[in-house]
Amino acid sequence: MKREEQISRNLDWVTVLIYILCVVAGWLNIYAAIYNPEHPIWIFDDGFFDTNSGKQLIWIGTTVLLIIAILVIDHRFYDTFAFPIYGFFLFMLLAVLVVGTEVKGSHSWFRIGSFQLQPAEFSKMATCLALAKYLSTPLTNLSRFKDQLNVAIIIAIPPILILASNETGVALVFASFLILLYREGLPGMYPAIFLAVVTLFILSLIFEEWQIYIGLAVVSALVVWAMPRYERKTKNILAILGVAFCMGLFVTGVDWAINNVLKEHQRNRIRVLVDPDFDRKKTGYNVRQAKIAIGSGGLLGKGYLQGTQTKFDFVPEQSTDFIFCTVGEEFGFVGSLTVVGLFIGLMLRLIYLADRQKSRFARVYGYGVVSIIFFHFLVNIGMTIGLMPVIGIPLPFFSYGGSSLWSFSILLFIFLKLDAHRSQMLSRW
Amino acid sequence: MNIKKDIVIRIRAMFLFMLLLAVGIIWKIFFLQTIEGNKWREKAKMSYVEERTIEAVRGNIFADDGSLLATSLPKYKLGFDPLVSRRNKKNEKVYDDGIDSLCHLLANFYRDKTAEEYYAQIDLAKRRKVTYIVLNNDLITYQDVKKMRKWPVFRAGKYKGGVVFEKVNVRYNPFEKMGVRTIGYKKDKEKVGIENAFDVELSGTSGKGVFEKIVGGSWRPVEGGEKSIPVQGLDVHSTLNVNIQDVAETSLMNALRKYRADKGCVIVMEVATGEIKAMTNLSKVGRDTSYYSETYNHAVLNRTDPGSVFKLPSMIALMEEGGLENTELVNTGDGTIKIGTLTTEDSKKGGHGMIPAQEVFEVSSNVGIMRLMQKYFGDAKQKKYYEYLKKFHLNEPLKFQLKPDVSPVINEPKAGDKTAMYWNSIGYGELITPLQMLTFYNAVANNGKWIQPIIVKSTKIADEVIQDFHIGQTVYPDPICSEKTLEKVRKMLEGVVEHGTAKNINNPMYKIAGKTGTSQKLINGKYREGMYYTSFMGFFPAESPKYSIAVVIDNPRGVKLEALYASDACAPVFKEIADKIYANDIQMHKLLIKEEGSKLNFAKQKVTAHSSDIKAFNDEMSIDKTPQTEGWTAVKQDSQNSFNYEIRYNKKNRVPDTRGMSLRDAIYVLENKGLKVRFKGIGKVTSQSISPGANFTSGRTIELILQ
Repeated sequence: MKREEQISRNLDWVTVLIYILCVVAGWLNIYAAIYNPEHPIWIFDDGFFDTNSGKQLIWIGTTVLLIIAILVIDHRFYDTFAFPIYGFFLFMLLAVLVVGTEVKGSHSWFRIGSFQLQPAEFSKMATCLALAKYLSTPLTNLSRFKDQLNVAIIIAIPPILILASNETGVALVFASFLILLYREGLPGMYPAIFLAVVTLFILSLIFEEWQIYIGLAVVSALVVWAMPRYERKTKNILAILGVAFCMGLFVTGVDWAINNVLKEHQRNRIRVLVDPDFDRKKTGYNVRQAKIAIGSGGLLGKGYLQGTQTKFDFVPEQSTDFIFCTVGEEFGFVGSLTVVGLFIGLMLRLIYLADRQKSRFARVYGYGVVSIIFFHFLVNIGMTIGLMPVIGIPLPFFSYGGSSLWSFSILLFIFLKLDAHRSQMLSRW
Repeated sequence: MNIKKDIVIRIRAMFLFMLLLAVGIIWKIFFLQTIEGNKWREKAKMSYVEERTIEAVRGNIFADDGSLLATSLPKYKLGFDPLVSRRNKKNEKVYDDGIDSLCHLLANFYRDKTAEEYYAQIDLAKRRKVTYIVLNNDLITYQDVKKMRKWPVFRAGKYKGGVVFEKVNVRYNPFEKMGVRTIGYKKDKEKVGIENAFDVELSGTSGKGVFEKIVGGSWRPVEGGEKSIPVQGLDVHSTLNVNIQDVAETSLMNALRKYRADKGCVIVMEVATGEIKAMTNLSKVGRDTSYYSETYNHAVLNRTDPGSVFKLPSMIALMEEGGLENTELVNTGDGTIKIGTLTTEDSKKGGHGMIPAQEVFEVSSNVGIMRLMQKYFGDAKQKKYYEYLKKFHLNEPLKFQLKPDVSPVINEPKAGDKTAMYWNSIGYGELITPLQMLTFYNAVANNGKWIQPIIVKSTKIADEVIQDFHIGQTVYPDPICSEKTLEKVRKMLEGVVEHGTAKNINNPMYKIAGKTGTSQKLINGKYREGMYYTSFMGFFPAESPKYSIAVVIDNPRGVKLEALYASDACAPVFKEIADKIYANDIQMHKLLIKEEGSKLNFAKQKVTAHSSDIKAFNDEMSIDKTPQTEGWTAVKQDSQNSFNYEIRYNKKNRVPDTRGMSLRDAIYVLENKGLKVRFKGIGKVTSQSISPGANFTSGRTIELILQ
């Protein structure tokens, strides 16, 4: 058939290759994570498909079907139905609150037979589509407040619903759209404020309030002193002082928020970052065990299926959120670097692909994909090595879980489908 | 600014931001895995390799003849992991196929729950996803484990069937309940008996070793990883004699049941050595039962008014002080005496009238003793009486090996208290344990030599003695009283059995010397009529005492008042034990034989035996001349009835001379040479079909004639 030939010719095979490498490597690591040397179980053994690695194999199989479906559907479908798709998943997020099942304290799962699906995972893709659709409307301009507000609403609704189902981790992912928005012309002030807020937030955890006040005073004094003479006007100085004052207020606010808004376990997870010995038995346990597993891997690792920490199940959730520990322990720094390299390669490739899009819809969507994958990559690997607080989000393509694999594959292949038709998209400018 | 430039800046900024974070991640991974690598490897090792204590094997407790009284045995608790069946289809099939018959087997084995109940228990755990349940808390032996490994589901093993046999080391007493309080035990916080007193020695020193975690949460020792090897606990060799302990327990139990008494105890002590041969304590369990068990060591811990058995120290004090003779007449009058405000009565209504001191003791007359006390100590020399008690070591703690050690309380009355000494002299007002009292009686039996009782002879590792407790045992070289007094007082003690309060145990076989004791029980500071604490203390054979025995029965419920007296309850227990010891102890018979002056003619027949057997035989029979030979020895008797020994050399490859041997020895010698033995008759070998010293071929049959 003509059309399919077209697709196979236009599909970006570099991305597909990286994708396949990630999924295969992911599955091998899931197998290692649940591997029991006293009682090894292989694909042909009874009960294999009851294990996580067996189930993941089923998920991978079904994902292939999904990908084929995505590639077969007309590329205009995603553009045209972006909002309905968004609306559908908002509805699903609402529905899960009513008919969903609770798994490990989060009421965000649909159960169909022995399979579970988490609509929150798919809402990332839907929001991405909606954003792309909105921003590709002619005359939208992100420096305009009205558009900023609309975009904010599009981004904000899903995480609010997700928070209601107690799935904080996934909700935080939506913050990653800031990258996309900045690329699309959002004034630099927003990401700057966001970064400042995050930095101050972390600083206020590490240091006492008064230390930060002094720090702010010193920094603003330095800035004033470093100013070229002609810039040193009362107005500018006042502005700097004003900013410093606001930051000071914010720090006070953060302190209040930490103690009153965050739940204790969330507070502790952040505190563990600063003080690795804090609460070793509970909150600090995961991170500590993850660091032991990864750290003990050394340069070359202990060898596939040879990881002691992995074998003895020291790291909780090792086939899902902490899958990177298996990589770190059994394949060492070389393996870790390969995985990180795969992700960086994937993201660079996607940025390249996004930038060559002729339609704004496809470009925005592409950047959305990059933003989401980047956030997952940063936070997931970051938490296993003690750089980030423990936020339960999976490592794309690697972690065990059908919702995660399906949603990331759909997310990625919609973009590849759009990319394959980039020359035809022009007509819709 | 043009739009193009703006976009380029934005892309660069975005790039830079993402790049920085990516580099940060790579750096941190690098830092963790290479720079800090060793630290984390060390930590990883610590999480699956751990230094753990290796428990030392607890030492055994032995009886005086080497029988095991307590030892440690491995036992098993049956556990089950119901989730194994959920792991895969194969396991599930094993479970589904076998679970019904397994539950039946469990129900049949333990007999505490029905098969349905077992099934419900397992099924519930399975549904609740419990990873481990204990199916039954009863401990089973290794034999049971072997049997259970053949049961359905279980036979699939730990990883496919889910069965877990949890090993527990348990203390096992081969004689079960016998002497349980004396041998002791450690249960939760309750630690008693020898197990408690010698806990440090028995425990040994636990070692330290490196263990590796294995899947399933258990640990296995790493070879060569022992930091310190556990040192096995010492064996404790007690002085307890299994046979005596057994008869003591049975006799006491029967007596307690017969009199529906509250509790009682028996102590048997070897006179010359102070070794405790038996110690038993029985208390009623519950109110109206005839079930008794060892719950408290009365013999060592229970201090009470000793009662009439204390008349013995009083009598000795009287003899030592005033040279009282057995024949001295004492007026017991109408059986009452008033001293100060105190009126005391004899148990016999109307009194005994004028009787000699010997009879005062025999009938245990309170009035008689008090009259004598009045005469020899009076009010003026009260202090002297207590000095005697001190000299008798009656106020000393025994420092006995079992803990805790309680001190006796014998207080000199305050000045002005004129009555206390009289009370004391008949056994009221002191607080003394049965063992303390018996130790005094033992000193009397031991020709006045006071010897500290011991219950543990030695601690050993295999045959090497680590500590000998006879060394360091307190023995006072000075006798508690003069030889003359001893002679007199022993005559009194014999009199008690011959015609006094304990004449029901008089027997022609051997003589018993002893004293009965009955005291009213002190309850809430008042002596209660109708509740008695009865005892009998003494020793036997009276002429040359070998064992002293204390029997105490608390609150016997008798038919008649007189029946409550010690003579009825305690003395027969004493006799039963003494009978049994007498029957088993050849040396005691020998004493009788010696007395009869008969000479034994052992060597009427020619005997050939192994030199070690001859030595053992001679030791038993007190024959002085023992062979100097080693090996098979012929015994010959000369005209003076003394023995000559001649060694039998058996040459290699020659038929040995078995004449004079017992069949056992002959078969041993001949079959060792490779000959087949047939025999006729009984007795000693008189002739053999192949003559001694002849050549033979292995496998030939030799016929022996025995006569």
